[in-house]
Amino acid sequence: MALLEIKNLHATVADKPILKGVNLTVNLGEVHALMGPNGSGKSTLSNVLAGNEAYEKTDGQILLDGKDIEDLAAHERACAGMFLAFQYPVEIPGISNMYFLKAAINAIRKSQGRDQLDAMDFLQLVDEKKEVVHIREDLLARAVNSGFSGGEKKRNEIFQMAMLEPRLGILDETDSGLDIDALKVVADGVNALRSPDRGFLVITHYQRLLDYIVPDRVHVLVDGQIVKSGGKELALELESEGYASWAVAEGA
Amino acid sequence: MDLKQLRAEAAAHFNEHGFPTTKEELWRFTDVSAVANAEFTSVWKPAEVEHTALSKIIVVFENGKLSHEKSNLENLPAGVSVGSIMDRADGRLGTLADSQSAFVSANTAYFSDGAFIAVADGVELETPIHLVFLADADGAAIHVRNFISCGNGAKVAVVEEYIGKTNTSYWSNAVTEVFVADHGSVDHYKIQRESKEAFHFQTLEAHTGTNAVFSNHSVTLGSKLGRNDIRGKLMGEGGEMICNGLYLLKDRQIFDTHMFMDHAVPKCNSHELYKGILDDKARAVFCGRILVQQDAQQTDAVQSNKNLLLSRTAKINSLPQLEIYADDVKCTHGATVGQLDDESLFYMQTRGIDPVRAHAMLTFAFANEVLDEVICQPAKEYIEKLIHEWLEEVSA
Repeated sequence: MALLEIKNLHATVADKPILKGVNLTVNLGEVHALMGPNGSGKSTLSNVLAGNEAYEKTDGQILLDGKDIEDLAAHERACAGMFLAFQYPVEIPGISNMYFLKAAINAIRKSQGRDQLDAMDFLQLVDEKKEVVHIREDLLARAVNSGFSGGEKKRNEIFQMAMLEPRLGILDETDSGLDIDALKVVADGVNALRSPDRGFLVITHYQRLLDYIVPDRVHVLVDGQIVKSGGKELALELESEGYASWAVAEGA
Repeated sequence: MDLKQLRAEAAAHFNEHGFPTTKEELWRFTDVSAVANAEFTSVWKPAEVEHTALSKIIVVFENGKLSHEKSNLENLPAGVSVGSIMDRADGRLGTLADSQSAFVSANTAYFSDGAFIAVADGVELETPIHLVFLADADGAAIHVRNFISCGNGAKVAVVEEYIGKTNTSYWSNAVTEVFVADHGSVDHYKIQRESKEAFHFQTLEAHTGTNAVFSNHSVTLGSKLGRNDIRGKLMGEGGEMICNGLYLLKDRQIFDTHMFMDHAVPKCNSHELYKGILDDKARAVFCGRILVQQDAQQTDAVQSNKNLLLSRTAKINSLPQLEIYADDVKCTHGATVGQLDDESLFYMQTRGIDPVRAHAMLTFAFANEVLDEVICQPAKEYIEKLIHEWLEEVSA
């Protein structure tokens, strides 16, 4: 069953066309990788999907669980089950990780008509989920991402994802800036969350993340369009040949 | 010099020089003519103003006079002396605060009461001391003088809170002098909730000895026109000063913070984080001067002033100043003025938090950063509550 359907998606940033007709479907239980060179529109796609108002969708459709999310604001998309792991997670001094997560979980639960988690239940959930990404206890008490290393920030993104249990996880270059050990931890976290009623769109510039998060499908985004889709072997092909052939073809 | 003579000289100084004008560098942005032109009297009467005790050791002053009825000074631990400044004599009284300041001179000349706190060498007081200054006397000039002495290796937390009755107009003019002896530690809080029709001025002057620590958190919500002069002098090696502050202003409130950190000796730290949230036509001044004297090698001084403007008509004048005469030092300063960060708002929304809530959380977080280093739990919780209440008023 289709979890995410992107149909002929066009989007601009500051009036500049970036996405020029993206078509992509992620079914439940699948992991799709989206690869592409710098400037191809990967981050624009993740921002448009998540509902960032700095990006303007000019044409096309985005369906989540078969429903058009056009009119949903960012927080409503999150409540509908979408989660974006940021390429550059934002530091929020003054709000502790725990307080932030509790507010997030309860906002999502409220929108779904579920009971609010009390402090005890919440702590129990934290204890359970922190094992997924081996996040350090002291990071949880600190302000959101404040003074975290690059690796700690990414790990915290995956921890948040584990806590919020989304239907669709979008990872925007989560591997960028990670050493191999941190990359493995992040990948293990994602793999632990793979399930038949959840899907992932893993956006990456490099193939190496896909050694650890093995995708069902790989798509290549060049200049705002998907120019090729295939199985996991496509990633290896890109690794050896690079994006040059497509980029040149586009420019010609 | 005995106290009587000191007061006579201060009176003479004040009578001769009067109040400062905006022609003076230190008062360039803050016009105090409204105070200078008003007539004040001395009115000592009980104050009908509510307060919440933050500690079992509490000293309450009503319109500038200690109230034994509302205070609780029983069962003070050995080595801890707390009471009225009128009952004590300490030769150091008046030796710290800047005698050239009009407000200090007026206070020295006319103070009617104030708190005296002395903690003996080696005594670590776990319970904070709550000083409450209640005011509701229309037209009164209220001069209180506080004196805090922390002995060698001693430790004490003091919360000064100024509370005024809504719509009463008076002039509150306080001076607090703090001595922290070698290896001592004073954790000091100042919460200003004066009437929005009142004037409030305070000079806080602290000196630290070798390896001594003075920390101050000044939170301002009240007064229509006010100023904190915070002056720290690091007199002994290894000394540390943390002076953080928060001003939450709205309507036509004007509040000025003048900070002066004087590094006289090597290997001392001073850290200042000042944040403000301004709405309506409120105006704030932050002037932070750090002086690193020639001998003060290996000084580590950090100063930061960050402001959040909720309206287009609010205004901030921020003037960080570094004056460095030593060559092996680490000094940084910075000032920012802005609105809430769109990226942070988006980030929170992607976690399911609606924009109104995200806005409120971020505004609170902005203010709350100032409390990150607060160790006195009752003070922290109380200040957090005040911030929440203020934000609710502003967003209503």
